[in-house]
Amino acid sequence: MTETTPSGPAVELTINGMAVRAEAHMTVVEAAWANGVPRVTGVGCLEGVCGSCRILLRRGKEVGVALACETLVEPGIEVLFLPPPAAPRHQYELAELSDGWDIQARFQEIFPEAARCRHCHGCVSSCPKGIVVEEGVALAVAGHFREAGEAFFECVMCELCDTACPEQIAPAHVGLFCRRITAFFHLRPPNLIHRLEEIRQDPPGGGKEKP
Amino acid sequence: MTCSLSYQEALAAYRAGADPGPLPEPMDPDRLLSAYHPDYLPGSMTTLAVGPNAGEQCQRELAELLQAEACIDEVDLAGVPVADTDVLVIGGGGAGCAAALAAAEKGARVLLATKLRLGDSNTVMAEGGIQAAIEPGDSAQKHMQDTLRAGHHAGDPALVAALVGDGPDVIRWLIRQGMQFDQTSTGDLHTRPAGGTSAPRVVHCRDYTGLEMMRVLRESVIQHRGIEVWEQHSAVELLSNESGQKCVGAVLACRTDQSLRIVRTRSVILATGGLGRLHLNGFPTSNHLGATGDGLVLAYRLGAKLSELDSFQYHPTGLVNPPLLSGKLVTEGIRAAGALLLNAQGKRFIDELQPRDIVSAAIIRECREGRGIHPSSGGVGVWLDTAGLERSQPGLLERQFPKLLARTRIAGIDPRKEPILVYPTLHYQNGGAVIDVDGATTVPGLYAAGEVAGGIHGRNRIMGNALLEIIGFGRRAGAAAALSGHDRGPKKITLEHVNRARRALALAGLPLARRAPLMLPAYTAPGKDLTFTANRAKP
Repeated sequence: MTETTPSGPAVELTINGMAVRAEAHMTVVEAAWANGVPRVTGVGCLEGVCGSCRILLRRGKEVGVALACETLVEPGIEVLFLPPPAAPRHQYELAELSDGWDIQARFQEIFPEAARCRHCHGCVSSCPKGIVVEEGVALAVAGHFREAGEAFFECVMCELCDTACPEQIAPAHVGLFCRRITAFFHLRPPNLIHRLEEIRQDPPGGGKEKP
Repeated sequence: MTCSLSYQEALAAYRAGADPGPLPEPMDPDRLLSAYHPDYLPGSMTTLAVGPNAGEQCQRELAELLQAEACIDEVDLAGVPVADTDVLVIGGGGAGCAAALAAAEKGARVLLATKLRLGDSNTVMAEGGIQAAIEPGDSAQKHMQDTLRAGHHAGDPALVAALVGDGPDVIRWLIRQGMQFDQTSTGDLHTRPAGGTSAPRVVHCRDYTGLEMMRVLRESVIQHRGIEVWEQHSAVELLSNESGQKCVGAVLACRTDQSLRIVRTRSVILATGGLGRLHLNGFPTSNHLGATGDGLVLAYRLGAKLSELDSFQYHPTGLVNPPLLSGKLVTEGIRAAGALLLNAQGKRFIDELQPRDIVSAAIIRECREGRGIHPSSGGVGVWLDTAGLERSQPGLLERQFPKLLARTRIAGIDPRKEPILVYPTLHYQNGGAVIDVDGATTVPGLYAAGEVAGGIHGRNRIMGNALLEIIGFGRRAGAAAALSGHDRGPKKITLEHVNRARRALALAGLPLARRAPLMLPAYTAPGKDLTFTANRAKP
């Protein structure tokens, strides 16, 4: 359970401008709850895979971003829960990308900013999952979509890299696009296709297989 | 024979690759379950006094919510803005997204409302995989038998037949949405066995299957022109027609400014998931924050029949340590790959690939009988021998279970070198709203898909059937809801069912002070986030 018993010295920190006290083993989310900090709406999975609890974190002079459910409280840190990311500006539907031969051209149309990366490393240092975001974007621009997608394998779509990018590249969505077209164009598993063909030739409604 | 050990003692005594001994003679499953499964804890059940399931057994914490007063009344609806749509989907997890996409494919205008961010759900946390009978030695019939048997034959055969029949096409549909799966060297989909399956049948994307599924579906929904998404909007109550017999919409509350919105619609699809955050019997949970059983409460008040309200799944391998991750899941895939369960003496005590209820009961037995391991942070558990697995198959953890490694890295544990401490965690609601093969509940206009629906898994679900259900039945419910008949004539929207439920509560002598749905667990101390009920005068 998330209830806690008082143990150890209290840690003092600031969340959304409010001075709060928490126990040392608490995450920033638990500290916010325990102190009734308002406007904490972006909490979901509590295990670092939904990417919702985005925070701005100030430790002395160092400022960074993180996921609150994975961040333990520390004395003196300042935490601000960030608003949810804006809706993506890049529009595409996979079903409209019927021809794999022009996929590089379509990528440039959908994500024209991707080629303008200025290698500022903002996306890399903002990623809570340690993804080599910049390299991933470069691979996508070069047309290596499978490898680009693989670089984003552990992406939780917190979109902190999108927020950080001065060129508005939306790297998380670039990565997801690469993963999706890789499956859409190339994943053709023989065992699945074989079973689907068996079902097509002998559909289950055709007399057999009723309990 | 008590010899429980502290974490340090047990870790010092542990040797990777030591002989775990022979499996003891298995205990009779029914005796094991009734003696140790949390569903059978004394005092955990009560009898429902009102509603469509009156007279039936129900988990105590859930019964309190099913027999509670609504959060709003007719007076709250004065002047509330009204939106119209064809299909309203409540819930932004896998089932909700699949339903929204299927309804939009049929040409319906779809509004998807979720109280968190789109995709914040149990789906995104799913690890193990999704079942589909695609291997040469496997068949839909075998899949059906496994599902019914593991569910103690309480499942509805017609629903199970629909579930297993959908399997292969669900995988194709997911690939078309852009979802990746692990492949063998020849390009086949890689399959794993699971507890209670007679063939390898679980396809997966390493141990991030749910994350891969959810980010793809989320993007599909966002990019779809026919679907509007309202995030941070909780469903406070459903709306009924004048007789209180048909669902005609819902009342939503925005979590950021507390304003209410009325949505008028042809049909409503509940895809609200489960209730792990009620912490039944005081258990930790693997579930996400929003899993507070809202859909069951809303459906029950409107008169929908529910099923198996006394049956819940406690996943055998929840993390015990560190407190930050207490109750979080270690995928069953790791036992399918060969990891053993060991007690404090380093001995095996159960066939690790028995169905989940059996394995959980066996772990609880070991701990209760003094063969558990006690970490200093509190709690108790048994070893999941990941280090032994790494020893027999070097590199496997890194290749197939990156999520486990990423998670334990934060906690300073290396599961390749030491075993991890596990104990059952509240994971899944086996029952739910009674549905037919189109996902229709017993209330006209109201559909249910995913964990909120019941009848498929009987009294115990097997790994991989939840992800299959949310897509298979999500698509079924979405398509059926989109095609459900136009209701010409005056569209009166009322809270007649709320009045009816209140009368029933008063007649039964039940208190009206408690309100439901909860929307968030009490310990989130929501402060100013959700004040519209607190501001109201109590009746």
